[in-house]
Amino acid sequence: MGAVYFLTLRQLGSRPRLLVLAMLSAIPVFMVLMMLRGNTAPSVSSFENFILAGVLTGSIMPLMVLAITAPAFANELEDRTLANLTLAPIARSRIVVPKLLAAVTVSAPFVAVSAFLTGEFAYLGDLRATLAVTGGAIIGVALYAVVFLFFGLLSTQAIGLGLLYIVIWEGFLAGFVSGVRLLSIRYYATALMHGLDPRRFAGEDQVGFGMALGVTVVVFGGFLYLAIRRLRRMDVP
Amino acid sequence: MTEDGAVIKVEGVSRWFGSVVAVSDVSFDIGPGITGLLGPNGAGKTTLLRMMTGLAAVSAGTVTMFGQPVRHNPPLYRRIGVMSEHETVYGFMKGREFVRMLARLRGVTDLEPAVDRAIELVDLADAQHRPMGTYSRGMRQRMRLAGTLVHDPEVLILDEPLNGADPRQRVHFKELLLQLALAGRTIVLSSHILEEVEELADTVLLIVNGKLAASGGFRAIRAALNQRPYHVRILCDAPRRLAAAVVGLESVDAVHADPDGAIIVLSRNVLDLQVELPRLAKAQQIRLRRVEPLDDSLESVFGYLVEGGG
Amino acid sequence: MSAPAPTRATTGTVFDIGYQPYTGAREGRGSGRRAVFKDGLRISLGLGRGPRAKVLPWFFIALLASIGLVMALVAGAVERLGGPGSAAEANLPSHSDFYGIASIILFLFAAVVAPELLCRDRREGTISLYLVRPVTGSDYVLARWLAFLAVMLVAAWLPQFILLLGLAAGDPSPTTYMAAHWLDIPKFLLAGIAMAVYATTLALLASSFTTRRAYASVFLVGLFVITAPFTIGLASEIGGKAGQWISMFNLTNIPVHVNDLIFGKVSEITSEAPARELGGTVLVAWYFAWTIVPMVVLWGRYRRLTP
Repeated sequence: MGAVYFLTLRQLGSRPRLLVLAMLSAIPVFMVLMMLRGNTAPSVSSFENFILAGVLTGSIMPLMVLAITAPAFANELEDRTLANLTLAPIARSRIVVPKLLAAVTVSAPFVAVSAFLTGEFAYLGDLRATLAVTGGAIIGVALYAVVFLFFGLLSTQAIGLGLLYIVIWEGFLAGFVSGVRLLSIRYYATALMHGLDPRRFAGEDQVGFGMALGVTVVVFGGFLYLAIRRLRRMDVP
Repeated sequence: MTEDGAVIKVEGVSRWFGSVVAVSDVSFDIGPGITGLLGPNGAGKTTLLRMMTGLAAVSAGTVTMFGQPVRHNPPLYRRIGVMSEHETVYGFMKGREFVRMLARLRGVTDLEPAVDRAIELVDLADAQHRPMGTYSRGMRQRMRLAGTLVHDPEVLILDEPLNGADPRQRVHFKELLLQLALAGRTIVLSSHILEEVEELADTVLLIVNGKLAASGGFRAIRAALNQRPYHVRILCDAPRRLAAAVVGLESVDAVHADPDGAIIVLSRNVLDLQVELPRLAKAQQIRLRRVEPLDDSLESVFGYLVEGGG
Repeated sequence: MSAPAPTRATTGTVFDIGYQPYTGAREGRGSGRRAVFKDGLRISLGLGRGPRAKVLPWFFIALLASIGLVMALVAGAVERLGGPGSAAEANLPSHSDFYGIASIILFLFAAVVAPELLCRDRREGTISLYLVRPVTGSDYVLARWLAFLAVMLVAAWLPQFILLLGLAAGDPSPTTYMAAHWLDIPKFLLAGIAMAVYATTLALLASSFTTRRAYASVFLVGLFVITAPFTIGLASEIGGKAGQWISMFNLTNIPVHVNDLIFGKVSEITSEAPARELGGTVLVAWYFAWTIVPMVVLWGRYRRLTP
């Protein structure tokens, strides 16, 4: 597993990519600083809706995770190098899991730092709130990562599928159709933030903490299972 | 290995992609030694190899190796080395790193000596610390071969392994394969280079239009092609006179004269011709200078079967 | 006595293996450009490839068409339920609002499909096959640009025509409706051109910088999706002239401002954009800056290519 993990880290962790991730993760921090600088400070709910739910978990986090995770398998399929791994005497799960771990290793720190700093500045040093935001964001990264990893195995058009999911499902439909929020990673991430600190995101999320936690486990496990099953059954180029 | 000595058993294997049948009801056994897999472009060789290595599913039939199914059986890969036709390397990785990674993935415990050996075998010790993106095509091919051999597999499946290799490397590679075959390895080699397969392979499998057109030693295959007479070229000091005499032999189907003074004899019974021809020449007082079979080669067998099957 | 040195053969023989030299017409550069254009159309729509290649482009076209259809159906329903003229009174979204509503989908379409036209050829080296023909790098990129522009125009115009037909059919007197609203046609055609040229140029420019389609797509979507909230938030915080100029960097709004100017009506998506205050001339000049400069850069990246 270590060999696959380190290989994937090298594949995904190039300097230009890390630079782009750093720039993207700075955006919410920058925005909250600008908001606080204004003469009329925004309400907590408008900050939570706009910056945390809209920008961080709704746009930047899924895009960052998509850019890192979908190519984990999609590039190998395109370059026909996946056979180097599948022709090894190891279970398919020992290919999928390290790929996922490597993708999360690359993307999660940027999201975590961004969420921590954003929360820290917005909540004026309230550590519990900050950690709730960070924890919810990291879990969101894991959920997005496993979904996009599966997309990467499903099709070389994984990025297209992922972008459709982010922009239309998470960005548009989840905002207007309440039923869709039950199937939205963004809303689960914010529900978890609320669960970790009930003072925050009060009344915004449609999903309770317990349900969010349960669904997180089911979605994560389900897509991981689907990814392993897909790798086992597919024809490897 | 199974009781009948087969290491690889392919039984009734077919593969279709929608309405396109790539491989159709192919069955054969492969034992130790070198087996050449031949066929024109699009014949289904690569699809067949991919099914034999478990990279692709079969639509029908079974593929087993050492009596075990190949597909969904990762532990079997400890005993198999596969080199596909595509350049499946990571350009950012150094050659040695690539071979070491493959060795680690394939469970090699004594890593560094195994990597050293594999790289020495392909004569790339000088270049092993360079990124493979800087290698020539032939070097990438050789490093891939090192990665295929590093875990000392019992079975080698090689798809166009000599692509991009220069003449010296080809000679070296042939010697390596012969050594491995002598040591009891089972090697399946797919290639377009008929002369090399002819030289190396004990057994040949000819795939045409997804079907197994012939299998066995190529001379035996040639002999089995009853409908095709052999072509024998004869140089002598009186070609017309010999031609007139030879046409009367029972073993001769037809004779024609070449513009360069030789005669070409078509015969379905070369064994009898071998006996009758010298007697006839002696009786006619004709000196025979040269008698050579023109289609006693894998290329001609390939050509007959491909034409016949196409 | 040493053996004589081998002498080079002085005779040779050509064997007739059936090779026939081509004796037909040899077409020139124009034909080459047309071929690259047609190939670009086929790539954009997934034609000549398996069903999976068709899913995304046709999904986007269908999605855009369905938006036009839904808008027409809603207007028809309001008209039917509320009586004649109620759709107009209700100020429902119409032709002038369509591109604002659909802009993100159009940009997403460009981001996902456009990289197919440029990235794959460079990645797999097939661009050399084009360049050894009587086709230059400029011809190649222009043909690809025109091909994708054609597809974007279909994606932009088709829903507008569906909407027009739907609104006319929903009116008690379709001919009267058409007579009263015929000017909408050149307006939405022109606005559609503005949208399509903008999206095509930026998408192909991003694609020209990478051989991986995925990175071009994510970069483009990131650019559109992230500049919007970023500039909105920043512009509202800073305010004033600086805020208006920051608002100009909301890349999703640039062609929508042009759309508003063409229709003479502000659409919902740009109604609160401070950039509007800068005036039509500035907005149009900004639009041209964001299409012409990328076009020149794109051309520059390809014009010196050799096989």
